[in-house]
Amino acid sequence: MISITEEPLDLGELAAGAFRPDCGAVATFVGTTRVDETGEAQVEYLEYEAYRPMADRKLEEIETGIRCQWEVGEVRIVHRLGRVYPGEPSVAIVIAAPRRGPAFEASRYAIERIKEIVPIWKREIWSDGYVWVGSQVATRPTP
Amino acid sequence: MSTVRVLLFGAAADRAGVRQTELSPPAAGASLEEFWAVLAERYPGLAPMRDTLAFAVNGEYARLDATVSPGDEVAVLPPVSGG
Repeated sequence: MISITEEPLDLGELAAGAFRPDCGAVATFVGTTRVDETGEAQVEYLEYEAYRPMADRKLEEIETGIRCQWEVGEVRIVHRLGRVYPGEPSVAIVIAAPRRGPAFEASRYAIERIKEIVPIWKREIWSDGYVWVGSQVATRPTP
Repeated sequence: MSTVRVLLFGAAADRAGVRQTELSPPAAGASLEEFWAVLAERYPGLAPMRDTLAFAVNGEYARLDATVSPGDEVAVLPPVSGG
């Protein structure tokens, strides 16, 4: 199950929905927004955007890649778009597998691939400007 | 349809000042690299980002030697930063 959503992530429902009798391990990875502070300025929130439907297709490719490499029962990947406040979940990955090794390995693979190939971008909105994460494009005052 | 739809995202949209535009390919059978030259001329703010950008044609990552034809959709993709 792949999803890109503007809604807050319901982690409990996401994990519990992956429980099944043929799987003895459910690995959950949650990425949350981490922010820095510099001097007087703070990050107020992050804003995510995606190129859809390419982003949806790339997430589906990641699921396919997982199923080709590991024996897993359930793959759930959900990514947020829009405004996400500091400390909130921005991505959740739930892998149910018969055994714990593949569950751990597949969830690690999923987050690494998301950061490599899925066309999603985030911008930090600071109290004094913004910064596109990963690009040298920003409106914040330079120190 | 004689033009190519161009979508820009993230920092590239910011630099260009547009999120979407239409451009004609410079010639029949033009490559993505040739198409980029036209785009960067129209939106000079994009030019310094060149080495950091990836491109998609019709929703799939494309190399610079890929052909861009009228009716295609080209996306300008800065380094992804999901997660």
